[in-house]
Amino acid sequence: MKFETVIGLEVHVELATKSKIFCSCSAKFGAEQNDHVCPACCGMPGMLPIVNKNVVNLGMTAGMMLNCHINRTTTFDKKSYYYPDLPCSYQTTQWFAPVAVNGLVDIETSKGKKSIRIKQIHMEEDAGKLVHDDWTNTSLVDFNRTSVPLIEIVSQPDLSSAEEVVAYLERLRSLLRFAKVSDCRMEQGSMRCDVNLSVRPEGSDQLGVRTEMKNMNSLSAIVRAIEYETARHIDAIENGTEELVQETRRWDDVKGKSFAMRNKETAGDYRYFPDPNIMPVVIDDTWYDGIKNSLPEFPEVKKARYMSEFGLGEYDADILTGSRALCDCFEGAVAECGNAKEAANWLISDCMNLLNKNQQTADQLTVNGTSLGKLIKLVTDGTIGRGNAKKILIAMFEKDLDPAKYAEENGLILSNDTGLIDKVIKEAIAADPKAVADFKGGKEKALMALFGKCMKQLKGNCDPQVLRTMLIDEINKA
Amino acid sequence: MKKIVLDDMMLTKALPTTAGSRMLEGYMSLFDAEVVERLTAAGYEMAGKAQVGEFAIDLVGETAYTGTLTENGKLTAASAKALENDTVKGVISLDVNGAPRRIAAQNGLVFVKPTYGTVSRYGTVPVACSGETVGVLARNIADCREVLSAMAGHDDKDGTMHADALCKKAADGCEKPVKKVAVIKMEADADITAELEAAKAEMVANGIEITEIEADVLSAAKTAWNILMCAELCNNVSRYDGIKFGYRTQNYTTIDELYTNSRTESFGALLKTAILFGSDVLSTKNYMAKYDKALRIRRVLAEAFGKLFADFDAVLMPACSKPAYTETDVKENPYIAFEENRYTAPASITGLPAVVAGGVQLVGPAFSEGALLDLAALLVKEGK
Amino acid sequence: MDQTTLQSLEKLNQLRLTDAEKEAVLAFFARQDKEMAVLDAIDTERVERMVHVMPILTVVREDVEKKLFTRDELQKGAPETMDGYWQVPRLVE
Repeated sequence: MKFETVIGLEVHVELATKSKIFCSCSAKFGAEQNDHVCPACCGMPGMLPIVNKNVVNLGMTAGMMLNCHINRTTTFDKKSYYYPDLPCSYQTTQWFAPVAVNGLVDIETSKGKKSIRIKQIHMEEDAGKLVHDDWTNTSLVDFNRTSVPLIEIVSQPDLSSAEEVVAYLERLRSLLRFAKVSDCRMEQGSMRCDVNLSVRPEGSDQLGVRTEMKNMNSLSAIVRAIEYETARHIDAIENGTEELVQETRRWDDVKGKSFAMRNKETAGDYRYFPDPNIMPVVIDDTWYDGIKNSLPEFPEVKKARYMSEFGLGEYDADILTGSRALCDCFEGAVAECGNAKEAANWLISDCMNLLNKNQQTADQLTVNGTSLGKLIKLVTDGTIGRGNAKKILIAMFEKDLDPAKYAEENGLILSNDTGLIDKVIKEAIAADPKAVADFKGGKEKALMALFGKCMKQLKGNCDPQVLRTMLIDEINKA
Repeated sequence: MKKIVLDDMMLTKALPTTAGSRMLEGYMSLFDAEVVERLTAAGYEMAGKAQVGEFAIDLVGETAYTGTLTENGKLTAASAKALENDTVKGVISLDVNGAPRRIAAQNGLVFVKPTYGTVSRYGTVPVACSGETVGVLARNIADCREVLSAMAGHDDKDGTMHADALCKKAADGCEKPVKKVAVIKMEADADITAELEAAKAEMVANGIEITEIEADVLSAAKTAWNILMCAELCNNVSRYDGIKFGYRTQNYTTIDELYTNSRTESFGALLKTAILFGSDVLSTKNYMAKYDKALRIRRVLAEAFGKLFADFDAVLMPACSKPAYTETDVKENPYIAFEENRYTAPASITGLPAVVAGGVQLVGPAFSEGALLDLAALLVKEGK
Repeated sequence: MDQTTLQSLEKLNQLRLTDAEKEAVLAFFARQDKEMAVLDAIDTERVERMVHVMPILTVVREDVEKKLFTRDELQKGAPETMDGYWQVPRLVE
């Protein structure tokens, strides 16, 4: 018998806000334990939740990016269960009127194009973190992540393979990063995913027994987990190796197996009810239009435009539109210098190299596009040399600056002092007669050695073309 | 200096806040309630705390973990005791289930429960947030008005508040004096009935038109409020788990033992019942039939009051069934507070302002507390 | 409400009742159940539920970060802490 896998995903994405969803604590990743905590987010009585407007902005943005209908009145509800990482023993989430519903995400796999339906996107608070201490045999509670804003993106069970799941997650990541909703870093837990999976005979309209694997946070683990779980289900159906039950399972990526979980999530009734302390959030036209008008072009639209409008090759356009930060910088640079080819080159080679060296991703690029455009202009009009321009770029990675002013202050302007160049060349030739003889004997490399010495002596402030011509002239004279 | 006493639902930095529960014995808040800040800024001295019943859901404070206060077998209240000291202007009390209104009615005091959303709840121990209100218990109308006026006003830290002008207008002003009063027929004992008759006579003597009406629908308020209050309470007190602060049992090895024993050992019987009941009405099985039903009944009640206030400026009704409760009352029916609140629940569940004075209760439309206080002044023959 | 349901309610709310308490609680539930008749007699089919009693809408704040208290202040009243963490019995996944 042939089987098909039916998969629905719940994807949690931490929103890129400065502060938490209901209190003003920092939402930044990586602080010392319990440093980003206040009475509200460690469960003490008396403080009242006030919704962070930016959370609603980003929730709406995500909804629009995924073609959802935005609920113009959206409300918050409380969900109750006991667990030490949940300081109030309730989580504030959206149960009755989530910010966005009924969306659509297009994906592409080796089998072609497909649309995945989104059931809903809701805004909610994250839970804290537990660290297990073997010495004392206790668990230690850190509330830094408590109340950090999340959206949960719930898909319909429209996915049918690990490949589709990966394509879907990569598409979500690309769209959400593009719209600056989240940095979607799975390794830091800012994007994680629950996989709901069942298996049924191909063509059947009945769903099989569903199992859920929670908190998956790497694409490769998700692929392995789906493959394992699919095989386990098929084995159970075909060979009766075990009885499938609806349950939550934990994926152990080291063992390559899933295990039934004995935990909080199956503990029972969550008793959702509307939060009396949070008034309905009504999104009026001004608010709605403001968000709508600030949405970025979709990456593929941008890519097509970069190719047609700026004449970039597909490879270059692909790299640039892989990151919103690269696009912003590129567009800023082109607007300033009018030279798309150069701007693309600077970003794809020089900027990417520097990012790699700093172990940063493209999204972490902070170079100001206008400044990069100015730098490109200085190079193309011959004011500074390419080598020195790279030095300026390194400085621009540290902080935004005016390239012309920086070049002047640091003596990086190209010199037209032919007298000086002449003097340097003569000294170099006098100091290395062997190189001169080698060059005359047909060794091209010898010229490069002399050229390098001169350029070093001139501190790079020399048009390489001018230096080369003058150098050859001088050698020929000698 | 003008002194203020706070009931123990108000969080304070200087003194422990227990909410009447062993769970919070010795609990020190890191911040003061907004009302404390406002009153201090207005020149009042915070003179101390008055004990409350556990999470303020009982009759008059008898379930406090520190013990029941009585005098000659009758229940007394710490807040009423505090007002025996002439230098104390008022006791700031959180009205969750009508306790301060019953205390006022049974001790010849005045209590104003202002319109929901006109006094900040920031820094009060949360119980039933959809209806609980910070009010003032005082010896007379003038003190009540003065203190309310000092603490009413918009606060950005409470997301359920009206604009500042509305809050202030409600506390200070009286745009529309009360001329027509509906008297709601409700059962009560002879003493309370006599007080109601006296109030009616005083109104008539002052040219106020009174009309006796039947308002059967209001009898739904108690049951609906018990559902909403217990559900919200169950959720709000689930934070007390022995982990972060407050009482922790000595007797545990596992996390579940830590939770269960800490809560079981430190919570009283009435609170436990309310938690279990509140949890049950929110269960998937009962949500629609009970909790959702109660939310709809709330609107039915709000609309019923709306209709009443189209014809009348205020309603007159009892605040309790009798002039004093005894220890026997509570022994015979540990849940008496969930029945006595039939007088107080109508204003609790709708968030409408209520004033208790001269042993009776006046309820008016939103923002009418100024007018209600004026009317109450007539009843107790207090010059403006 | 029966003993079994009550027991699961106790568990769900991390409480444990004595037999005497159970009896009283069951009586309370029975009483409240009976009172539901008053609510059920009112037709609410077309009545919208009312969560908030006053018509206030959309209370939001700007995304500004503010630190109110230090970790030490927050953990002053904690039953048990270790290295700046709140400490609880070991949890098994």
